[in-house]
Amino acid sequence: MTVATRSPGTHGPRVRSGQKAPRRPVNWGRVVAWAALIVLLIVTIFPFYWMLRTSLSNNRALAAEAGSPLPADLTLGAFERVLGMATTEEALAEGGSGASVNFWLYLRNSIVVATVVTIGQVFFCAMAAYAFARLRWPGRDKVFFLFLTALMVPPIFTTLPNFILIRDLGLLNTFAGIVLPTLFMTPFAVFFLRQFFVGLSREIEEAAMIDGAGHARIFFRLIIPMAAAPITTLSILTYINAWNDYMWPLLVGQEENVRVLTVALGVFRSQTPQGSPDWAGLMAATLIAALPVMILFAVLGRRVVNSIGFSGIK
Amino acid sequence: MRRTRVRIAAGAVAVPLVVAACGGGGGGDASADGEITYWLWDANQLPAYEACADAFHESGTDVRVTIEQYGWEDYWDQVTTSLVGGTAPDVFTNHLSRYPQFAAEDQLLAIGEYVERDGIDTSIYHDGLAELWVGQDGQRYGLPKDWDTVAVFYNEEMLADAGLTPEDMAELDWNPDDGGSYEEVIAKLTVDENGNRGDEPDFDPDNVDVYGIGLNSAGEGFGQTEWSMYAFSNGWTHTDQNPWGSEFNYDDPAFVETIDWWRGLIEKGYMPSFEMADAGVSMMEQYGAGNYAMVTEGSWNVSAYVDLEGVDTGLAPTPVGPEGERASMFNGLADSIWAGTDEPEAAWEWVKFLASPECQDIVAEHAVVFPAIEESTERAVDAFAEKDIDIAPFTVHVDEETTYLAPVTDEWAEVSAIMGPTMDSIVSFSSDTDALTEANEQVNALFE
Amino acid sequence: MATQVVPKRAAKASGAVSGRRRRFGDLRVALVFLFPAALGFTVFYLWPTLRGFYLSLTEFSLLGDAEFVGLANFERLIGDPLFWNSLRVTVLYVVINIGVQTVVALALAVLMHRLTTSVTIRGLVLLPYLVANVVVALVWFWMLDYQLGVVNQILDWIGLGRISFFGSETWAIPTIALVNVWRHMGYTALLIFAGLQMIPKYVYEASAIDGASEWRMFWSVTLPLLRPIMALVLILSVIGSFQIFDTVAVTTSGGPVDATRVIYFYIFELAFERFDFGYAAAISVVLFLILGGVAIAQLRMLRAGESDLS
Repeated sequence: MTVATRSPGTHGPRVRSGQKAPRRPVNWGRVVAWAALIVLLIVTIFPFYWMLRTSLSNNRALAAEAGSPLPADLTLGAFERVLGMATTEEALAEGGSGASVNFWLYLRNSIVVATVVTIGQVFFCAMAAYAFARLRWPGRDKVFFLFLTALMVPPIFTTLPNFILIRDLGLLNTFAGIVLPTLFMTPFAVFFLRQFFVGLSREIEEAAMIDGAGHARIFFRLIIPMAAAPITTLSILTYINAWNDYMWPLLVGQEENVRVLTVALGVFRSQTPQGSPDWAGLMAATLIAALPVMILFAVLGRRVVNSIGFSGIK
Repeated sequence: MRRTRVRIAAGAVAVPLVVAACGGGGGGDASADGEITYWLWDANQLPAYEACADAFHESGTDVRVTIEQYGWEDYWDQVTTSLVGGTAPDVFTNHLSRYPQFAAEDQLLAIGEYVERDGIDTSIYHDGLAELWVGQDGQRYGLPKDWDTVAVFYNEEMLADAGLTPEDMAELDWNPDDGGSYEEVIAKLTVDENGNRGDEPDFDPDNVDVYGIGLNSAGEGFGQTEWSMYAFSNGWTHTDQNPWGSEFNYDDPAFVETIDWWRGLIEKGYMPSFEMADAGVSMMEQYGAGNYAMVTEGSWNVSAYVDLEGVDTGLAPTPVGPEGERASMFNGLADSIWAGTDEPEAAWEWVKFLASPECQDIVAEHAVVFPAIEESTERAVDAFAEKDIDIAPFTVHVDEETTYLAPVTDEWAEVSAIMGPTMDSIVSFSSDTDALTEANEQVNALFE
Repeated sequence: MATQVVPKRAAKASGAVSGRRRRFGDLRVALVFLFPAALGFTVFYLWPTLRGFYLSLTEFSLLGDAEFVGLANFERLIGDPLFWNSLRVTVLYVVINIGVQTVVALALAVLMHRLTTSVTIRGLVLLPYLVANVVVALVWFWMLDYQLGVVNQILDWIGLGRISFFGSETWAIPTIALVNVWRHMGYTALLIFAGLQMIPKYVYEASAIDGASEWRMFWSVTLPLLRPIMALVLILSVIGSFQIFDTVAVTTSGGPVDATRVIYFYIFELAFERFDFGYAAAISVVLFLILGGVAIAQLRMLRAGESDLS
């Protein structure tokens, strides 16, 4: 790529095409760069379109119109099947399995799990971060270092014994079993918030103390509001992770009443009614599974985007 | 994707179908009561067993059965994780290749005492079926529910187009050298994109329109519907003795030449590649779409194939092999009770009912599988006949005593873990059949 | 770790202040604040870690009691071709995944940085990251299907011929690696993008005045200044990359042959499908040691990067 020089700052290519520069030569470097960016964006977006296209297709027609960019035999049948709104006959007619699937239930389960984990984890970790960042007590840094080392332990290493623990507690196939291991803390969350709390100004806190405020009051009234931005960021990240988790709920939450969306999708995938998967139904199900997080993103998108670098680098 | 697993039931629905088993009845003074859960994997059989449950509930028992069904690919994961987690179903459909390991881990209830106490006559079942469920420790871990064999399913219209008749199909012979008349038929049924047939000089094996024979999977170490009928007819068996063999024969020349011939069909363009078999369209759908002219399949799938729209399916027995006989694997399922059940008596009531003529007659009338009880099988034959299906190609093996019992052995999960990848790599041509020698050594090392 | 510098400094400062305080400082309050997290840490991190080490020395089917067998599991592991295969496959995955991901993400970040300030574009780029691994795996599994997949339709149409992406031993790992590149590239690009924003504008202005081309600026300005951020991004992504499981579990289940039997999946299979929990624990101990080694090596690298920056 030989790229022409570009004057820095705000000018350069954005100079108004007026009388001043009537025949500005096309900046091929920029064209190529834009083309590359657009290609990457298409690669990013296309699978989403294909999910949508397939989910709006009739499963039986998919094979015949495998290459068509439009839905094959447009129908909402796949969504009806997945949400349990179609009768067995209707489902079979469109190449579904006829089995009762109920993604409403799995959706509810996912929401319960992700919400509980997020609230618990963020709150408890904020408390711990406060103890590590704002309180003085002997052995503090050693304990913090111990917490940090947990970052090094590969999750599978603790997953195996944790499974036994949850089993022995009789918590298999309960929400408690699914949420407990991440409800109280993750090393990352403690670490992330502590970094913030350390940086907060001590003066306000001390002023509050002189006014007679206790630690609880300082924590709730001062620290949490001052750290609202990083707490929100952490909450979003935690929510996404909890929502997308697969292995743990697969192990401890197989039963239908606590089965979350990711696990349900895996099960749905292995369902082969008289043969190949119900692709249209599967794509409808994946869209449903992806939707809540996308909505969250649409609402809080700017914050997420802007916080990413922050969370990684600080 | 669990395609590497042996597919017993293609008609499989993974999501549990909870069948409300709130039948009528009530009252009665049966000794057992309680609520139990029963698992099975074949969606095709679900209606039959629902009907059994209804009949059971009406029989005056206080036991209430809830049936849950998971697709084959999911079923064994569900069973193992639920055993591990202590949440297994009270009663579940068990497979010959799986139960020895469960028994060895003390997960199955030995039911010999119950059988004796209640005077169950195990001679009503087809020969050999009941004995299969007695473990190496001499304990009984299940009562037989059904049996199955393998046959050739073909597209009648394509057969006629190739100038062949159903009578031709009934008299085929096979050998591992040139495939015999069986391979000739497969070649004739294969058509390339220019309309040339597989036995014509202009045939283009790289651009095939209709394959003579379909491919489901590489068959792992089991090969039930894939290659076992050829290997058996070539004088081969999985193990030195069955049940409870401890020496496997995957390196036997009779097996190696069978596999060489079988995968050779891919090179000749008569059978689809492993990649196609592994893709997202099943063998049945390919067959239904007219891409395969024939397939080798198990009796449990007859109805599903016959019900395919737009295709008329005929049945033929497996070919006569070098030993002068046809062959088919003879597999039988049974219902086992989980050792950890809270309701052993209730579970036993249900198992007893499942294994009784009453229930097996109900299953027979649904014409999906062959019940284990001989007399019920007769009924099933009639029920199939009513659906215009002549299932003689399956029963011929029982009549002519050309059945080979499915291998029953400890450590099947470990055997599969070795043989699954090995067979995949052979059928996909990434290794040669020499790989069987090493694999066999590994398998045999498991039993030392 | 860059972060550890901060607490020490903070601790020193606070030490000076707390001279007049009681010896235990805020210990009582701290215990209250720390209690839930400490409970979670002890029960779900510390205890299972210790127990994991113990279980690796046992024969344990999960059904009976664990039986102590010393180092037998580790001896078995040395002679287990499937273990070595899983390690090889995992490393192959990590190399492809991280290699491609880093290059693509860097390109994406630089393009966004030099071309646009649009938050919408940055949001679009992040979309795949918001979707679960399972969903991503299934969507690509469908798009790459040998017969019906749109990608193979296109390949066929162009005349390149179909590729059995998930079904061939050669393609399976690269395919899974690239699918996960797709999910992570936007996120990684945004991490790098944030690093780019920290590079002062005048650096670019200065080199532009010197007549440097964009291409040269990338090599002489952007890349050197980005080194510490790249190192950090690598640490985050390599460790995560070793944990490949979800994609394999819902697509290939370790096949074809053993081509995608990555270490996480092998452990999972052994523990929960083959009643071989002790051995699974032993393999996870080895994985633990490997990842520990990787992390330490990378921390060294990061330190080198930091000193370079200052």
